[in-house]
Amino acid sequence: MPSITHKARLDALSDAMKAQNVEVFLVIGNNWHADYLRYATDFGIQEGQGIAIIRADGSATLMLDDPTECERARAEISGCDVQYAPQLVKEARAQLMRSGNRNVAASPMHLLPYGLVNAGNDVRFADGAPVIERLLMTKMEVELDCIRRASKLCDEGYIVFRDAARPGRKDYELVAEMEGFFRAHGIAENFMIIGVGGKEVRGMAPPGGKVLKAGDLVTTELSPCVDGYYAQVCRTLVVGQASETQLKAFSVYQEALEAGIKTVKAGVTAADVARAENDVFRKYGLGQYTTSEYTRVRGHGMGLFLDQKPQILEDVDIELVDGMTMIVHPNTYHPDAGYMVLGDAMVVRPGGHELLCGLPRDLFSVSAH
Amino acid sequence: MRRGLMAWDASELPIETIHARQGKLRAIMKAHKLDAFIAYTNISHPAAVSWISGFTPYWSEGVYCVMPEGTPAFATALSKRVAEWIGTVMPVGEVIPTPAPGTAIGKRLATAGAKRIGIIDLDDLPARQARAILAEVGGLELVDATDAFNAIRCEVDGSERALAAKAAAIAAAAMKAADWNAKSLQALIAPCEVHARRAAAEDIFLSVAPDLNASGRFQRTDTATTLGSSFALRMSLAYKGTWVRMVQSHASNPAEAARFATAQKAFDLLMLSRDPEPAVREALAAAGADLKSWSLEQPRGSSPLVCVAGTGITTGAYNAGAPATFNAECEINGARWLASRPFA
Repeated sequence: MPSITHKARLDALSDAMKAQNVEVFLVIGNNWHADYLRYATDFGIQEGQGIAIIRADGSATLMLDDPTECERARAEISGCDVQYAPQLVKEARAQLMRSGNRNVAASPMHLLPYGLVNAGNDVRFADGAPVIERLLMTKMEVELDCIRRASKLCDEGYIVFRDAARPGRKDYELVAEMEGFFRAHGIAENFMIIGVGGKEVRGMAPPGGKVLKAGDLVTTELSPCVDGYYAQVCRTLVVGQASETQLKAFSVYQEALEAGIKTVKAGVTAADVARAENDVFRKYGLGQYTTSEYTRVRGHGMGLFLDQKPQILEDVDIELVDGMTMIVHPNTYHPDAGYMVLGDAMVVRPGGHELLCGLPRDLFSVSAH
Repeated sequence: MRRGLMAWDASELPIETIHARQGKLRAIMKAHKLDAFIAYTNISHPAAVSWISGFTPYWSEGVYCVMPEGTPAFATALSKRVAEWIGTVMPVGEVIPTPAPGTAIGKRLATAGAKRIGIIDLDDLPARQARAILAEVGGLELVDATDAFNAIRCEVDGSERALAAKAAAIAAAAMKAADWNAKSLQALIAPCEVHARRAAAEDIFLSVAPDLNASGRFQRTDTATTLGSSFALRMSLAYKGTWVRMVQSHASNPAEAARFATAQKAFDLLMLSRDPEPAVREALAAAGADLKSWSLEQPRGSSPLVCVAGTGITTGAYNAGAPATFNAECEINGARWLASRPFA
């Protein structure tokens, strides 16, 4: 059964192809970057790789290199000719050759296979970013509904995470609790990373088998996915009572998050938001911890990909527009306390934002016993 | 995106095993007159780099390069901080965090004077990485080395067999933990997922054929609605970079459930004996199941599991001595029955 968002997305994509004079649009996807393929075909790929060819006349072919994924696509989506293609790149090349010499664009370019561009044929691929990237960033109301539902599950999920965090538990057992919660609520996908420990911890990663103990900071970001759309929340907890040092350090993140969120509205740039967050750190002499040495981004867009444009950085001049969804998170290392995270998701609106996160912006504590 | 346990354990994958695998790689480089061997990795195509280095990415992408001598280099778009994490889970290799992995590897190749490079799954290599490599080295020749790699990949060592056995054991226990009498799909799968991840699964994908009377096609668990009187649950599970699949059919009608159980028992015994086909057909027939189609999956190139034999597959690429997953679709007394089991 096609998702409720699919028809609206197809119409938007068709308009964008016309506007960019693109006759054939090729999209590539896998379980890491499933967003482009999902936007164009409604198929949420889990295993293997897929390539879809979308034509100006509205016809579409989806090729998948995994036979079970192919059967799944036939059961789940409509409006696409689904083909099993164990030699995926060769088959896509043949299909393109049959399409003739047309204006072809591809996305995402960083996944475009060498076998497609090095085939000794006349097909030239324009970067499809102008066709699809604005569509991925700016959501329609039907898409926002999915993200709102995912955000609600972020809130509920974090309470489950907090209650499951106790001394003696391994980090991957915490992940197990979260995944059980999300599966029980009909969520097939979630992304999360975790950090456990003290000042020696400099970021989050997949669980490595660390056992929670009293005094540990436990950081996480939860990113459940509803009908293909991700939302995210970032929070930090302490096993036991938070120390004065930890509370004082965390107050910088609270102030930075508030400053960042206050800046969000249509018309400002991603850089404006990042600058507002980082200025708070600079005010407290912590400016160096806002650099790439200690932190990757100060937030990012979210939607069919959980870490989509715009990345919230001081050198990103993408303008925020009504309907963009993003998380603001001044996550970084603090020299007195260790790595801390705090982030809320929101929708950009003309005069400000619609906050999606309902959790308190606290440094949570759980029993050390 | 991977989110279960990701850790390197020397007792499971000794560093000597990695060195031995890289030694085989260097031997074929010599045989094929290659100056370097390159494998690309991302979440969907991690198998080659995982076998060569022990490393699987949870996110993003990278390029692993082995030259005739010296420590292999792994250039990845992950950040410098994540590179520190990679160092804890990748036993052999120098990590180069860079926004342009192809360029970083290209510079290494240029310094080494490399001219002819073997690449696993060359067609699938992102053009951006290939072009970046080519831009750094004048006159470089890129050669598809997938067949050469697969030839050594088919020589299974004890570590691989043990990891496959562990993955299969986790999958079997997780399948058993599913709530088979649950009223909803969500209640069916949640305990299964929890069990697998508590048991240290690196990742797990679940899908369901919700009504075997209507179709044997699997669907993602968020697209299926209600469960029929007979259904099947499919699990793809990874443990430390090793993937297995498992499918279990269930019937609520007691007589049909008994027939399913008889077939499952026969199927499981055959998988233990590693004697898949044609013995499976005969044994299933004796258990009342008519084998309609089957397939065998094994790792190939950078793909964790690929169909290498089965109904309609004539390539004959199945490696009889290696771990595999056997998938079967049968008819039992007019009802569809699906099963998959890995064997190490």
